[in-house]
Amino acid sequence: MSDATRQVSTVDTGVEDRKTTIRLLIGLPLLCAVILGGWSIWRQTADLDDIEARQLAWGTILELTRQHIVLTLITTAVVLVTAIPAGILLTRGSFRRYSGFVTGFANAGQAAPVIGLIVLLAIWLGFNTRTAVLSLAIYGFLPVLRNTIVGLQQVDQTLVEAARGMGMSAVDVLRRVELPLAMPVIMAGVRTALVLVVGAAAFATFINAGGLGALITTGINLFRYSILVSGAVIIAVVALLVDWAGRVLEVLLTPKGTT
Amino acid sequence: MSTTTSGQPAPEKDSPTSAVSGAEIVFDNVVKTYPGQSTPAVDNLSLTVPAGKIVMFIGPSGCGKTTTLKMINRLHEPTSGTITIDGEDIRSKNATELRRTIGYVIQGGSLFPHMTVEENIALVPGLLKWDKKDIAARVEDLLELVGLDPSRYRNRYPKELSGGQQQRVGVARGLAADPPVLLMDEPFGAVDPITRQRLQDELMSIQEELQKTIVCVTHDIDEAIKLGDRILLLSEGAHVAQYDTPQEILSNPADEFVEDFVGSGSSLKQLSLSRVDELELQQPVIASVGDEGSAAAAAARAAGQKDVIVLDARRRPVGWYSLGEATRMSRLPQESHEDISVVDRRATINDALDSMLASSHGGVLVTGRRDEFLGVVTFTAVTEHIRSTSESSPS
Amino acid sequence: MVDFIADKWQDILFRSYQHVSLVVQSVLLATIIAIALAVLVTQIPRLRSAANMISAIGLTIPSLALLGLLVPLVGIGTLPPVIAVTFYATLPILRNAVVGLSGVSPTLLESAKGMGMGSLTRFRRVQLPMAWPVIMAGLRVSTQMSMGVAAIAAYVLGPGLGTYIFTGLAQIGGANALNYALVGTFGVVILALLLDAVLLLVSRLTTSKGIRV
Repeated sequence: MSDATRQVSTVDTGVEDRKTTIRLLIGLPLLCAVILGGWSIWRQTADLDDIEARQLAWGTILELTRQHIVLTLITTAVVLVTAIPAGILLTRGSFRRYSGFVTGFANAGQAAPVIGLIVLLAIWLGFNTRTAVLSLAIYGFLPVLRNTIVGLQQVDQTLVEAARGMGMSAVDVLRRVELPLAMPVIMAGVRTALVLVVGAAAFATFINAGGLGALITTGINLFRYSILVSGAVIIAVVALLVDWAGRVLEVLLTPKGTT
Repeated sequence: MSTTTSGQPAPEKDSPTSAVSGAEIVFDNVVKTYPGQSTPAVDNLSLTVPAGKIVMFIGPSGCGKTTTLKMINRLHEPTSGTITIDGEDIRSKNATELRRTIGYVIQGGSLFPHMTVEENIALVPGLLKWDKKDIAARVEDLLELVGLDPSRYRNRYPKELSGGQQQRVGVARGLAADPPVLLMDEPFGAVDPITRQRLQDELMSIQEELQKTIVCVTHDIDEAIKLGDRILLLSEGAHVAQYDTPQEILSNPADEFVEDFVGSGSSLKQLSLSRVDELELQQPVIASVGDEGSAAAAAARAAGQKDVIVLDARRRPVGWYSLGEATRMSRLPQESHEDISVVDRRATINDALDSMLASSHGGVLVTGRRDEFLGVVTFTAVTEHIRSTSESSPS
Repeated sequence: MVDFIADKWQDILFRSYQHVSLVVQSVLLATIIAIALAVLVTQIPRLRSAANMISAIGLTIPSLALLGLLVPLVGIGTLPPVIAVTFYATLPILRNAVVGLSGVSPTLLESAKGMGMGSLTRFRRVQLPMAWPVIMAGLRVSTQMSMGVAAIAAYVLGPGLGTYIFTGLAQIGGANALNYALVGTFGVVILALLLDAVLLLVSRLTTSKGIRV
């Protein structure tokens, strides 16, 4: 074992214990329902001025939410189709030696504030959704890459050798043994990426790429706390629900027999 | 013991009823040097593993026994020299295809935790694109063969099995595609002694039926003596210290290294050479599952026995009760709540002795192929045998 | 670019200092809070799952949303960033501290007890030093994250290099937009890496040689 691999094994992969997972699976939707319910009651009964009423119209909020979620999903899809193959590649044969360097580089890159990334890319590529997706995807890349590598490295090597010894091809071993066994860790990385992206998508509004961040900027610019707080609450609820969906996916995709 | 037997490989287990399905493996001047190491791990090994035999590889750790084993299925590639199976160079086809024709069983079974028992066993037949129906039938057969009830265990995950059961499934998985050669890498190293002995017995009875060529790495000299038709004793660099039958290795160690390795208790180890079926078995009156308990007890008492032995429909022992216990049962049940002491007829007398000490009946049941009941060995029979052999063979 | 930095280096240094100072103070506060909570959790095992849930949920809340909630409560300026950074920084440290403290073998603690150590001494001399490497790992994660959160805090007029990023955003199309955004972004990256190096060193120096990996 080299130093690099030993260090990787101390990385917190974000895999939760079973009890916490179950409680969160039940608790999160309940929590969100309570918050949303409370907010809806306030929304229906509060005395709103013209500006507030326009910004907090149900149609507007639904449209912003839709944009926010679409942005999150597209970005996550981009992250999945790039980071997982990259992680697989970095655990194969001669590419293995670069895995320490790449994760180190990605770790350092993670220190870049997402808002800086968005602004820099916007100066280069303009104010649009493509820029937002690209910068958010760069931001969400590391957790998936790192967990894919760690997950694959954690697979018991005797099982891999057993699989090879039984006559599985390299592709078979990867597809039928390594990936299923690495799935819990990879999925935890995907969930982490989802949460990062759904939160950072709030900045998309700064470069006219839509999303719920608009409520916050409007709230601050017009000094309307009702809009500001509404935006914050809804973004938080959407983020919690996306996290919940990620957890559901995680449970569904974890092979039976491994927990 | 006289030296006249030395030329003959004594414990040949050829059975006239079943044909040899194994293939001969030949090592010819095989060298394996790992990159960055000056001395070879395997230094010019030439060796013939006869078809249909069990050859045990044993030696101090780092002697190259595992490397030698893994060269047969090309998990390690020889630096030079050739290995043939059934006369064919193993490099003549690609490694993946070769491995599908060689069974591979490793310590603890190494079952894939995310697959059920059935999926684990069905893997290689699946890779070989067998028909789905054939695979299902094969899985069923193999589970029967290793003594696991298919309906009960087929859909379980490995973590829902005991260590011994996992190892049984590991053996079934190794045999799945009916390979002529089975490689075993310390297969029974991870289980407790009693379970290990059971698994060894089962392996021997399976081998009697299938006649594969089995190459098995072990670090346990008793296991080597018990299972091996031949033992390959290696010293560092996979130099052959002695390659012979267990008898010969025990009675005529080639040199001091072998003598030291085999150990000083070798006259006691001779006990490991005698099998249970060399003893006289008692044939008690038996009862069947579903019989009335009191009637069975009465029949046993009439025959002068102190206990009732219950067999199932396939004559497998499923219960062993005292007369009192049996009388209290209305019907003799299919499953006993306690373990009954059973040994295979190929088990060594040592094993039988061990099981007897753990049994409450002062004896042990002996079974044959597919766990069929053969008789009872009593403590008296064993002590009688020990006395007679120690008288006849002054050491 | 060179001109820009040469021209503004005093301001850049000042804002860098503000940024690091905000993060360091908040993380220190977070460390104290997290260890205190972790001790509580290890004393009362039933709280463990609750602690895990809070840190999981807490980390899910987007920073912009949290800042949005804080502004009506505490106004704009330095206070919302301090609260937000401390909040996020607490969670990874808490998570790791719980793992680290409860990972100390009970046999060790019992032998410490047998040697006549009181519960406070046991914590200070045995439990905390044993858990320290894990806690430090959490602290490093927290610090990296806090550098980014602090940059966002500039949106509610907090201190630090984030201001440059938002100035860059506001001036897009202007001559200095790129310079502002580059200095703001890479300034944070460089500071984060420097701070991480310092923490790695501190972690080395404060971890007993006997348990270093």
